[in-house]
Amino acid sequence: MNKQSAPPGVAPGTPPVLQLRGIGKFFPGVIANKDVDLDVWPGEIHALLGENGAGKSTLMNVVTGIYQPEEGEIILDGYGQAFTAPQEAIRAGIGMVHQHFKLVQAFTVAENIHLGWDEAPRIASPAVMEARTREISERFGFPVRPDARVCDLSAGEQQRVEILRVLARRARLLIMDEPTAVLTPEETGELFRALKAFRAQGNAVIIISHKLDEVMEISDRVSILRGGRKVGTFNTADCNPSMLAATMVGRDIVRRNMRARPEGAAPVAPDPVMQLRHVSVRDDRGVETLRDVSLDLHGGEILGIAGVAGNGQRELTHVLTGLMARTSGEILLDGSLVDRADPALFVQAGVGHIPEDRLRSALAPSLSVTTNMALREYPYPPIGTHGLYDAQAAGVLARDIAELAQVSIPDFAMPIRNLSGGNQQRLVARREIRIASRVLVAAYPARGLDIGAIATMLGYLTDLRDQGVAVVFISEDLEDLLNVSDRIGVMFHGRLMSVIDAEAADMATIGLLMGGRDAAGTQAGATQ
Amino acid sequence: MAARAFQRLPSAPAGRILALRLVAIVLSLFIIAGVLALSGHSPVTLADLVLRSTLGSRFGLEDLALFMCPLLLTGAAVTVCGTIGLWNIGAEGQFYAGAIAATGAALGLHGPAIVLLPVMTIAGILGGMAWITVPTLARAYAGVNEIITTLLLNFIASLLTYYLTTGPWRDRISGAQVSTQRLPVAIPEMWGIVHWGFPVAIVIVIGLALVLSRTRWGYEIRIGGANPEAARYAGIPVRLRIISVMLLSGGLAGLAGMFEVAGTVHRLQGGMANNFGYLGIVVAVLARGSCLNVIPAALLMALILDSGIVMQTQQLSASVVLAITGLILFMIAIGDELAHYRPVAGTAPKGKAS
Ligand SMILES: Nc1ncnc2c1ncn2[C@@H]1O[C@H](COP(=O)(O)OP(=O)(O)O)[C@@H](O)[C@H]1O
Ligand SMILES: [Mg+2]
Repeated sequence: MNKQSAPPGVAPGTPPVLQLRGIGKFFPGVIANKDVDLDVWPGEIHALLGENGAGKSTLMNVVTGIYQPEEGEIILDGYGQAFTAPQEAIRAGIGMVHQHFKLVQAFTVAENIHLGWDEAPRIASPAVMEARTREISERFGFPVRPDARVCDLSAGEQQRVEILRVLARRARLLIMDEPTAVLTPEETGELFRALKAFRAQGNAVIIISHKLDEVMEISDRVSILRGGRKVGTFNTADCNPSMLAATMVGRDIVRRNMRARPEGAAPVAPDPVMQLRHVSVRDDRGVETLRDVSLDLHGGEILGIAGVAGNGQRELTHVLTGLMARTSGEILLDGSLVDRADPALFVQAGVGHIPEDRLRSALAPSLSVTTNMALREYPYPPIGTHGLYDAQAAGVLARDIAELAQVSIPDFAMPIRNLSGGNQQRLVARREIRIASRVLVAAYPARGLDIGAIATMLGYLTDLRDQGVAVVFISEDLEDLLNVSDRIGVMFHGRLMSVIDAEAADMATIGLLMGGRDAAGTQAGATQ
Repeated sequence: MAARAFQRLPSAPAGRILALRLVAIVLSLFIIAGVLALSGHSPVTLADLVLRSTLGSRFGLEDLALFMCPLLLTGAAVTVCGTIGLWNIGAEGQFYAGAIAATGAALGLHGPAIVLLPVMTIAGILGGMAWITVPTLARAYAGVNEIITTLLLNFIASLLTYYLTTGPWRDRISGAQVSTQRLPVAIPEMWGIVHWGFPVAIVIVIGLALVLSRTRWGYEIRIGGANPEAARYAGIPVRLRIISVMLLSGGLAGLAGMFEVAGTVHRLQGGMANNFGYLGIVVAVLARGSCLNVIPAALLMALILDSGIVMQTQQLSASVVLAITGLILFMIAIGDELAHYRPVAGTAPKGKAS
């Protein structure tokens, strides 16, 4: 790889949009980036690949002026630059869409687009801002509703607002941190089309992703980070997914058929641990978000739930863990009726829950790692005895969980939000597995994890199954679902379309069901 | 590259905050001295006088302790409420309610101090709790913002005190204005004019710190304050915890009122809360959410108040004293913010690094 020569298609003499030279960024006890060189040329989509904690987000935060590097330099269009604030990076034409959106939830789309924008008109009535927003939205090909409040938008729509915010400020380099993690397949397709259009105008994109197929599809070149250092930059055309995965992890990944039980594994229990009978849920606006769902969970079995996100998976998870009250139907735990939605009741019964949005619902981001790891076990000995809270015992528990999750934590007293998203996910997963003696409800547990970590996570699920726990595994990734599930249910518009045997299931049938079409020969709401 | 010299940390280490606060206080003292010198006062004489009549003499220390006592409790009241993410702006009103209830018990019941004092204590706590009950229920069951409701009740409590002390409970014995008669019992003194309420308040603050860090209830409160959704996920009955914390907060402020009326003032008087409830908010902000920090924060606040009184005897108007208080707090706030910045290793330009 000759660093100075432009890739094919770039006029000779054109400088790269962005050059990084020897970037180093350190946090207490962690080397987040070290000796990172990177060139991004106009007219390319550059993928940044790496395991969780490899330092991808940190590197991009350095480029956009959120962090200042301890070492190295940033060169834009051939000139050295030092950003002390994100605003300076924006002025220089670098825009970033973050992993966790940074929109004001209570504001409208138009207000968010104009927030902190020096080109916003001085006196801006909502009508003016909405008109401008509509114009921008049409110009860049990202449809949005200017007058909608951000809190009412889906993740995909919110992302479009974030992108427009950046594009409106004349970004020439768009950085996207795991943009597809929250998108449905259709939304991903739309995003990629728009990114290609953006590239065609001579702009550049850096996209961070864990999904190798997407990297192969969208990018021109790929750079891989491992342990904070860059391993290499490759032309995507010369790559294949398994080679990328191996380079990223530094070892080979073996995919095993995880449905096969090892010897001595618990068999599928004949009696269900938990049953839903004709359960429906209505939201505040009276819309039925879960419709007449019947389902049996058996110990020693993994039930996969497929479907495009937003088709009732969230409601199903919440009903299964006591977070949401049903409007009709029955829930039985060990054969006896559960009369109220009380999460404490489900925890006591041994129901663990890895929620979809761990930072928002499973962790207290500003509190310490130790405090967060005690969240499930604080009422019980050794941490909770006689109404007390034993901080030392909590510390021991936190260390245990971190060790099992293979997350190295420099300081257990630091706020858990300092950990990378993937590491938070691993810790939550391990914490929940500890208490899931009967049932584990795992919503998108692999979301945002890299390949190596996904394999480990799926291994956790099969281990639990072998111990006789009933596992509900909700995912968008059909391959993962087919790999580990014994039965697969498909959700569409709040309805459990069908539960089919994973052995006999094929992608086509599931695809049809996900689109709302009841394939012939499958039994709707079957409970085996 | 000058602008690159500093980096903002998301959370500031405690040591840096302390150091920068000390710098802030010293700097404000210099500013104050300068202004006083310009207006014809001798800063040295004034400083000498202030020091002698606060930290430097027995009477000064006794006064300090008496100022600290209510500030410890109202500061703790606001801090405890803040742990679950709520603001009790009504410590002033709860202070009055506690004082009124304790006075009512003292004037209405008869008996020896050993019986009457515990009854007054309970009455004071219940008074404070009663005063925060409506905001509490409104918050827990209807999501009504507690900042507004607790604040508005302050004015009612204050006016109620004026009404009682000029109306039904006015002093008919010695004819003191806007005051009840002297209460028949008093909290015993332990050191000069310092009554036993002071050590009790210290013990309560330490006890609260332990409760918050070492009990299940405290753990649940901390989780509930940091992320209510995670608390629900963990099966914590958030609504009940909000109710218990707010009642506790009201009770603490009510107890402050009882101590003040039965230990320091010995009568219920209009305006007797002296802004202790509002200053409790300042104490809590200075304490940055930690109960143990309430002790030094209350001490600092008491020092400022006490120095202010000394200065008023030296022809400095009350508004000058208020301005000085404001300046010190303002400088401390700047110090706290600066504590988040750290020079970036190696690139700090000469002469600019702090
Ligand atoms: N603000 C921070 N304070 C301390 N450590 C951090 C901070 N941000 C990131 N890290 C650490 O730096 C490393 C790289 O994190 P990150 O850039 O988020 O990884 P990635 O985005 O590749 O998953 C991780 O070990 C993470 O724990
Ligand atoms: Mg990241």
